[in-house]
Amino acid sequence: MDREQSEAGTMEAAPGQPAVAPSTSPATAVSSSGGESPLAQSSLAQSPLGSFFGPLGNSPAAMLRSVLREERLFLILSVFIGIFSGLAVVCFRFAIGWCRIYLLGSGTVLTPVRLVLAPTLAGLAIAVIVIHVFPLARGSGVNQTKAALFIYNGEIPLRTAVGKFITAALAIGSGHSLGPEDPSLQIGASLASALGRRMRLSRDRMRLIAPVGAAAGLAAAFNAPISAVLFVIEEVIGRWTAGILGSVVLSAVSSVVVMRWFLGSESMFRIPPVQLERPSELIAYSILGVVGGLASVVFSSGIAVLRPRFKAMPQWTQYFQPAVAGLLIGIIAVLGAPQVMGAGYEYIDQAMHGQFTWQFLALLAGLKIVATLLSFVSGTPGGMFAPTLFIGAMLGAAVGGAEHWLLPHLTVSPGTYALVGMGVLFAGFLRAPMTSVFMVLEVSGNYSIILPVIIANTIAYVISRGLQPIAIFDLLTRQDGLELPSMEEQREEGVLHVEDAMRPVKDPVLDAGDSVGRALQQVSKSDADEFLVRMNPTGWNSVKKEQLAALIAEGKGEVALGSVLPIRLIPHAHPDHPLETALRYVDRWPLVPVVSRADFRKLEGVVSQRDVLERYREFGEG
Amino acid sequence: MADSALNLRQNLRHYFGLYLTREAVMLALLAGLAVALFTGVTGLSRLYDAQQQSLGNRWFGRGVTDLSERRFDRAVVEFRAALVYAPDDYTYQLNLAEALIGLKQTGQAYAYLINLWDERPDDGLVNMELARIAAQRGQTDQALRYYHNAIYASWSDNASETQAGGQSGFSGNDTTSAERGERRDARLELIEFLLRTGATMKAQSELLALSENVGDDAEQARVGDLYVRAQDYEHALAAYRASLKLNRGNAASLAGAGLAAFELGRYDLAQQYLQAEVDGNPGDTQSADRLKTAELVLRMDPFRSGIPAAERDRAVMEDFAVAGERLKSCGAGGGSGSMTDLSTSWTKINPQITLPVLRKNPDMATEAMNIVFNIERQASAACGTPAGSDLALLLIAKLHEGN
Repeated sequence: MDREQSEAGTMEAAPGQPAVAPSTSPATAVSSSGGESPLAQSSLAQSPLGSFFGPLGNSPAAMLRSVLREERLFLILSVFIGIFSGLAVVCFRFAIGWCRIYLLGSGTVLTPVRLVLAPTLAGLAIAVIVIHVFPLARGSGVNQTKAALFIYNGEIPLRTAVGKFITAALAIGSGHSLGPEDPSLQIGASLASALGRRMRLSRDRMRLIAPVGAAAGLAAAFNAPISAVLFVIEEVIGRWTAGILGSVVLSAVSSVVVMRWFLGSESMFRIPPVQLERPSELIAYSILGVVGGLASVVFSSGIAVLRPRFKAMPQWTQYFQPAVAGLLIGIIAVLGAPQVMGAGYEYIDQAMHGQFTWQFLALLAGLKIVATLLSFVSGTPGGMFAPTLFIGAMLGAAVGGAEHWLLPHLTVSPGTYALVGMGVLFAGFLRAPMTSVFMVLEVSGNYSIILPVIIANTIAYVISRGLQPIAIFDLLTRQDGLELPSMEEQREEGVLHVEDAMRPVKDPVLDAGDSVGRALQQVSKSDADEFLVRMNPTGWNSVKKEQLAALIAEGKGEVALGSVLPIRLIPHAHPDHPLETALRYVDRWPLVPVVSRADFRKLEGVVSQRDVLERYREFGEG
Repeated sequence: MADSALNLRQNLRHYFGLYLTREAVMLALLAGLAVALFTGVTGLSRLYDAQQQSLGNRWFGRGVTDLSERRFDRAVVEFRAALVYAPDDYTYQLNLAEALIGLKQTGQAYAYLINLWDERPDDGLVNMELARIAAQRGQTDQALRYYHNAIYASWSDNASETQAGGQSGFSGNDTTSAERGERRDARLELIEFLLRTGATMKAQSELLALSENVGDDAEQARVGDLYVRAQDYEHALAAYRASLKLNRGNAASLAGAGLAAFELGRYDLAQQYLQAEVDGNPGDTQSADRLKTAELVLRMDPFRSGIPAAERDRAVMEDFAVAGERLKSCGAGGGSGSMTDLSTSWTKINPQITLPVLRKNPDMATEAMNIVFNIERQASAACGTPAGSDLALLLIAKLHEGN
């Protein structure tokens, strides 16, 4: 029985039998006419909880239907998405760990044979799996989630999650220089999409459910719910509304709770005590911002140049590209830098504890860029978040060490510089400035570092933006032949307001208290056909010259203008309203008054359809 | 009957239809799926955790073995491997820090230790290591702070047991002798540090605190040595005596007591201790020299209490002659004007330094000895630290300064 029939409250008649009226038993009475049933009159129905579920006057069935209204259902689903994404990410972490142990060994000093063979053979296997079984598992996952949102109505096949899980775990565990966060994001998005399809959500909700899952996956992977929420809103969705924010937050929190249940709440790496000793150190961090900005440009330029070239190679080379990348990474490891393999979190930890010289740190940063480029452009599934953090940490610690070498009196804590460095690369390479600041704060739990973080991140972002105008995710999108909205460009786009289109009032403004005759006198010299009328006590209306003439012909010359005009008032706008607000009215009303927020009777200007279209045209041309 | 059954079926279908909407069923299924998956992942998590723990323990065990055999480089690698599987394990980090210290990589060790200190500021070993690193870096205030922390900290072998036993926080209650020993060692090290940095007053205060908590004769002797280094010879003598009470044959205490008494000007006491030391340890040349000097002082001091007049006069004559020789050897090197004046005075009074004159005129002895003391002081300043009889005369001069 579908919902409509059940709501009718009538019983289907058995063949040959008259229809029966619903039972009037107090325990099971169902009201079809809207009359109060005993259950609806219960204390539950009258309670605040009952009022949360909407106007009752109906049965528990109506309460249930109220709960399951789509927007509330979406929120409940967000929690489930968070739980499932959290569980998936936990399993993903286990899979990576097991792959690493069985492919590379359990120690930190690995044999050269394994260092070379593991990523190479894994690369071969991954290529075959991706090409023949899970073609959508390629790439990092962030753009694929955006594509789902903007192009495919939120649809991501569940198969993608499975493929990403397997191939990324194999890739990262075998030593490819990639991270687990982006795949976690896509796995979460895919799970969410599958759930949404099962629940038969509306198209609008389906579009939004993928980012909800993405936030859940990323939050669990990072163990940082705030950063994950910010990243998804900043880079995937691009807008803040209360509805989507609530769902995203719920899913992120749920997934982090699940993740911490299994893996504990400790940070990915131990942060030594960090603090700003003197304000003059900000200069040192500014230098880090410059260096980080330049490094970001080098990194993203590498992807911009190499990825299309690799993709353009003959199809048969696609089978070997990940293997060759793995081989080269293995060789780098054997030559003395095994730290470039995998996500590298344990080495970030060591860099923060001053294990390496600054020269070696700088070398590691450079080699990691090379290794990540190799892994990523070869099409190996995996993410760029972890390598970005690695490069930033190494670079930060290197810059700190170099500064201390040049200026020995400068007190340097490698951990502080590494931490700021991570944020710098996050801002410069991934171009998520807000996320980068909160990520550093969330990971370190130390607010005193915020000033150097903001300064360094801003400098890196500005440099990166200046030298590499297209952000990395937009770059990848365009290389894939898709046209997705650029969140960065959207952020920087100017927003047109009503005040940009309105014009000053030149024609007489009539008052509702004026007589019709007097009004006609006022407008007689004007060329305009229609005039605004200020109503009492508030509100606006309009009248045409010919209407006034007709009223006088009817002998209503002495009658107050306000009494003869239609009751329905015309809507008004304010100068700071987005111009699209005025678009809703100008097609129906030739003149829309623009009034002050402090006094609705005070006219700031008027706007018409022509004014609005003219302004948009100028904006498009500019 | 058939009608009522039909009605019942229709009613049930109606009401289930009202409540069992598609969404409600799906949500219930999702909840069930979540529970099932949660259970499954819990099992997987246990497997994973067990493996991680096993690997961590394996690498840690290897690291402990290498650390105990001072193969620090291997121990570092093994502890780092253990930390991969248990990044927040306190014991792993602490041992890694120890290995890094063994490799003289104090910068890295410091970073780990400071993290550990944040977690457990009452851990004695962590505080000690931080104090040592701060001392190495010349950060005196930090070193003092951590040494004091270490003295009052918890020194349980198993830090986690310490936590479980509720003995967190700084404790003045020494529960085991091992803990007392650790705290004593911490204080000793602090004292050594203070002496090295020239903070003798602070060192003396710490020594006083240490003295209340000292064990056997060897420890008492060590305390005595530290008092000597802190130039507190009274307490040094007391410490050495305490040590000798426990072990009369303790050579170090005998020598130390002799030195302390010597420095305090109690030459008779010094002689006793030094004699005992030299008798038992003829190879101790320092004590032998000191004994010789003490004996000279005792023999050549005309003002020692109870000395007979004849002995006094003889001593004065001998001292005057020794001073004359000193004058000649020091003055021959082109002495200053004061030396010349002293020489004149010595020459003038020399004929009167005879037994009959001294017997007749006891004041002459004082006058003569004043000249002797002046000669020795000036000569010491002009010609360097004396030796032998001249040294004895100088010491006698110091002994009777102001008298």
